[in-house]
Amino acid sequence: MSCSLSSESNHALLHTKTQIGHEIAVDIQRSELYCFACDDQVYDPDFDRAVMLEKIVGLGNENLKGIRSINNKRKRLGFDGGLSSDFKNLKRVGGSGGGEWDHGRRLSKSCFPVGLRGLNNLGNTCFMNSVLQALLHAPPVRNYFLSGRHDRDSCRKNSSDRFCLSCDIDVIFSAVFSGDRAPYSPAQFLYSWWRLSENLACYEQQDAHEFFMSVLDRIHEKEGKTRNTNKDNGECHCVVHRAFSGLLRSDVTCTTCGYTSTTYDPCVDISLDFNTNVDHISPNKPQKSTDLGVSTLTSCLDLFTRPEKLGSDQKLYCQNCQERHESVKQMSIKRLPLVLCLHVKRFEHSLVRKASRKIDRHLQFPFSLDMTPYVSSSIVRKRFGNRIFAFEGDEAECSTNFEVFAVITHSGMLESGHYMTYLRLNEQWYKCDDAWITEVDDEVVRASQIYLVFYAQKPNSSHKSGEDGGCHLRSSPSGDSFVSIAGCC
Amino acid sequence: MRALIILVLITEFWRIMSAPDEDNHAQVASHFFGELLDSVIMDVASECHRIATLGLDRNLDDEEEELRLSAQARARVADPSNSEANSKYVVDIFGQTHPAVASEIFDCMNCGRSIVAGRFAPHLEKCMGKGRKARVKATRSSTAAAAAQNR
Repeated sequence: MSCSLSSESNHALLHTKTQIGHEIAVDIQRSELYCFACDDQVYDPDFDRAVMLEKIVGLGNENLKGIRSINNKRKRLGFDGGLSSDFKNLKRVGGSGGGEWDHGRRLSKSCFPVGLRGLNNLGNTCFMNSVLQALLHAPPVRNYFLSGRHDRDSCRKNSSDRFCLSCDIDVIFSAVFSGDRAPYSPAQFLYSWWRLSENLACYEQQDAHEFFMSVLDRIHEKEGKTRNTNKDNGECHCVVHRAFSGLLRSDVTCTTCGYTSTTYDPCVDISLDFNTNVDHISPNKPQKSTDLGVSTLTSCLDLFTRPEKLGSDQKLYCQNCQERHESVKQMSIKRLPLVLCLHVKRFEHSLVRKASRKIDRHLQFPFSLDMTPYVSSSIVRKRFGNRIFAFEGDEAECSTNFEVFAVITHSGMLESGHYMTYLRLNEQWYKCDDAWITEVDDEVVRASQIYLVFYAQKPNSSHKSGEDGGCHLRSSPSGDSFVSIAGCC
Repeated sequence: MRALIILVLITEFWRIMSAPDEDNHAQVASHFFGELLDSVIMDVASECHRIATLGLDRNLDDEEEELRLSAQARARVADPSNSEANSKYVVDIFGQTHPAVASEIFDCMNCGRSIVAGRFAPHLEKCMGKGRKARVKATRSSTAAAAAQNR
């Protein structure tokens, strides 16, 4: 660090030697602290907060919303108590001696995990089978149905609707987890779904993602009627929302004055565009001329959270300027769901050309995914130079670490392709190709053409036992084999 | 803050330039270029230092490893001599074998007839009166009936 008046002078250093306690200096050009004792640039939350407040004064109240002193006690996130009660029920199920539940974490080869059962293809229904396999192993969904939370009898009595997808799924859960290994035909489920989704009912290949969204909708509709949805600030507590629902944050910044307006929208999945702008080149391997670089799932997430300049035809009204100006939009994830479903947009539908095409390009994906760079606090902090400041309701209370448990792949052409699901149970991958269940290596899954990837939140291992926000499951001190969130059996 | 720096630089600039020594001017120009370059380098260094110290950088080692595994996997799977990835199924993990068309038989919940599982969806489509094929069939038969009547 040198003096702005004369770069040769070391009077700053000399000053610290003569004056005890004056070791800290400020780089006024960059608003950074320098410590002569440490001989390095140092960082302090209070200093950063002061810098932040200076920067954003005058940009409008929206930006001040998230800033609070980190000394304030944070309100404990009132997480859905329903989830912990799930596990109380589960303990009862396990304790009653159902043989399947007594498996230890490491299974011998001859003993396959429960819930592994082929599904018969009823005629171009691989789209349905693949989604069912993923749902069957989504931890919150699996735990909900297996602990009998959906009572078919009372559902039938209390509801005038003849068709209930939750009841049908409940039947499928019972069948698939029964221990019977002969392939199961989810005929009733198909029938119910067709009856409830008139516009999609036909004997044709469907899009698995569209089907998945439709199923979640139908289940939510049904449960929304019976459950109290007005508790806890309007959040829905039906099984699909507790499992898949997250919150997206959208920031739109006026390029003229810097004023940012923020909105929040719930989501049950995240649809990602292919990031064709790949710049990661391995330094060790020589690049072939045809090698375009590898597309990765994380680069798609980067693209999703990148600031996007809205076109000049999309000028938005700025409250600060009181007129329309060009703006920049940036997405981030305010609240992560328990189960993160990432949808890779492989099917392009062009309204102009009235044609659709499939993007066959391979997409690399990690088995362990850290969502920290994509959450709102990280994105907003980055916008302000990574200053240390506390965010209202910081997402750090919930784990940002996820582990993959299901991958739905699509192979073949747009109109005549085939869906399959790879399930990861106890660190072993299983290929679920309709009725056929086979074991496969990690490599086969890595090399596959992913379409929908399902990640489950890993419990925060650093949480002290008294402090959990309910986002993870504590293991019982007696060592009961609870079904943990990111595993099976 | 930047304004202050620029002000100081300009003051220094004029102080040196007001001296009559011509040779000094080239030296001064390169001096200022050096200052600006240092400033730019410090900007970047400071940003990176902050990211690294606060632990905000992505774990590049893990990412490299993932890419390596992915490339390796694709190479192995594409290899025609690799039988595991490309073989047709003989038995599944439970030792069972399954026909191309699912052969289980059950009753249709719409009409009650016995249906083979693998043909259930096309049957159900016609049974429920949905889809193109169901409508086309009706048209054909009604046209044929009308034609027969008109003869």
